[in-house]
Amino acid sequence: MQPDQPDRRVAVTGVGAVCGLGWGIPPLWAGLRAGQPGIGPFQRFDHSQHRTHLAAEVEAPPATLARVCPGWRRLSIADRFALFAALEAVETAGLATPFDQDDREEAGIGVYFGSSTGGMYESELFFAEFLRDPRRARLSALIPQQVNAPGDAVARHLGVTGPVATYSSACASGALALGAALAAVRSGEVEVAIAGGSDSLCQLTYAGFNSLRSVDEVPCRPFRAERAGMSFGEGAAVLVLEPLERALARGAEPLAVLAGAGASCDAHHMTAPDPSGAGAAAALEAALADAGLAAGTIDFVNVHGTGTPLNDAAEWQALRRVFGERAGGMPLVATKALIGHLLGCSGAIEAVATVLCLRHGELHPVRWDGAADPELPVALVLDDPLPLAGARAAVSTSLAFGGSNAALVFSRWMGPAA
Amino acid sequence: MSEAAATTARIKRLIVDSLNLEGVRPEMIEDEAPLFGEGLGLDSVDALELVVALEKEFGIRIKSQEIGREVFSSVSTLSQFIEGRT
Repeated sequence: MQPDQPDRRVAVTGVGAVCGLGWGIPPLWAGLRAGQPGIGPFQRFDHSQHRTHLAAEVEAPPATLARVCPGWRRLSIADRFALFAALEAVETAGLATPFDQDDREEAGIGVYFGSSTGGMYESELFFAEFLRDPRRARLSALIPQQVNAPGDAVARHLGVTGPVATYSSACASGALALGAALAAVRSGEVEVAIAGGSDSLCQLTYAGFNSLRSVDEVPCRPFRAERAGMSFGEGAAVLVLEPLERALARGAEPLAVLAGAGASCDAHHMTAPDPSGAGAAAALEAALADAGLAAGTIDFVNVHGTGTPLNDAAEWQALRRVFGERAGGMPLVATKALIGHLLGCSGAIEAVATVLCLRHGELHPVRWDGAADPELPVALVLDDPLPLAGARAAVSTSLAFGGSNAALVFSRWMGPAA
Repeated sequence: MSEAAATTARIKRLIVDSLNLEGVRPEMIEDEAPLFGEGLGLDSVDALELVVALEKEFGIRIKSQEIGREVFSSVSTLSQFIEGRT
C-alpha cells in the first residue's frame, strides 16, 4: 500500500444472521464452533410424500421482533428473517435507523439483496387454501411472493432511499449481491451498502430438489465418500459495507475487509456443474484479481460444499486449478454441513461465517463419522475449531444450480497501522 | 338484533378474519372509529382485501370508484353502504 495513495478498501462493519442454529450472530458462531448440525426433522409443511424429511428449520421469531416492525402481519417468513438480520447488522455497525432521508450522507445508502424464492411459501399456503375454499384464501398472502420482497422490506424499514436491487441466480444470489454492493461502494454510487440474502423453506424447492434426487436422507456430508446430496436450510444474513476510511473516521471497528468479488458461468448444463471445475475456477481467479491478491495469500476456503456427488467433485477440480499443490492442504470450511443450503441466502451467510472465522482467528469445524473420499484429498476442518490467528485472507465460493458461479475474497482487518 | 346491527356485526367479523388482525376481536372495533390511517391503521391493500371479502359475504359488486374515503371511513359508513346495496 503506497503511503500517499488513499486506502480504497471496503470494510465490513456490521453482520447479522438467522438460521437453523438460532436468531443472531451469537448462536450462529456458537453453533458453528461446536460443529454440530442444525439439520433435523422439521414442521413447516408436510413432507411425508418426499424421499427426505430433514431441514435446518428456524425456530419461531423472538416476540419483540413483531413489535418493532410495522406491517409485520403482511411480511413473509423470508421478509422477517431479512429484517432481523438487517437490524442486527446495522446495530453492530453502529448506524442509527431509520436513516434520515434529508441527510445527504444518509441518503447515499443502498440495499443489495439475494433471494431465490422470496415469499413462495406463503403463496403455496394461499394456493392450497384457495383450492380448498376460494372464499377463505387471503389475497394479501401473495403480495410478498416476489423475490425482491425481502430486500425491499429491509429498505423500507430502514428508510433506505438509495438504490435497492435484488439478485436472483439460485445459489449464487447472495454472493452476487455482495459483489454488486462492493462495486457500488467502490464507485461511490453509495456511501454504505446493506447487502445480504434471505430464503425460507418452501414446498417448491423441497419438492424440486427431491425430484432431482439431489437431497441426502441424512445431514449432508460435503467431500465425504458416502455423500449423497444436499440438506435444506433457511434464514437470512446481512453485512454492512462501507469505505474503510469512512468506517475509521466515524470510529467504527472493521470486522474484515471485503477485498474482491468475481463471477463466471459454467455454460454447461441446466442443473449439473461442469465437472472440470473450469467455471468455478474462473470465478475464483476473477475474485483474486479483483482483490489484487495472489492465490498464495489465501489461507482457507469456505467452500460451496453442498454434499452432492457432482458439486464437491467439480469444486475439488476448481481448487486444484487455482491453488495447485496447495489445494490438498488448504483448510476447507464446509458451513452447509451445519446450517444446510440456504439457497439464495447461502452466499451471504457463508460470507458472514467467513468474516467470523477471520475475526475470531479460528476456522469452524464440521463433524461426522464416515470415510474421506480418496478422489477428493481435501483438508476439511473436522471435529475441533482450527486456530488460524494469522489467517490473512479467505475465499468463499458459491456455485449455483444452473451454472452461475461467484467468489468473494475477504481479508483480515489487522488494525490501522497495516 | 336489528338488521343494521347484524350487518355491522358481520362487517366487524369480516374485518378481523379477512385481514388477519391478530389480537383484535370484532367487539373491540367501534362503529364510528376510523378504519384507515389512524384507528385500526388499515392501508390500501387492506381496503382491496376488504372489498373482496365484502363482495363474497354480501353477494354484491363494488366498483373501483366506490372504494373511497366516505364509504370506507368507518364500520358505520360501510354498513350504510351495504344496506343500501342489499
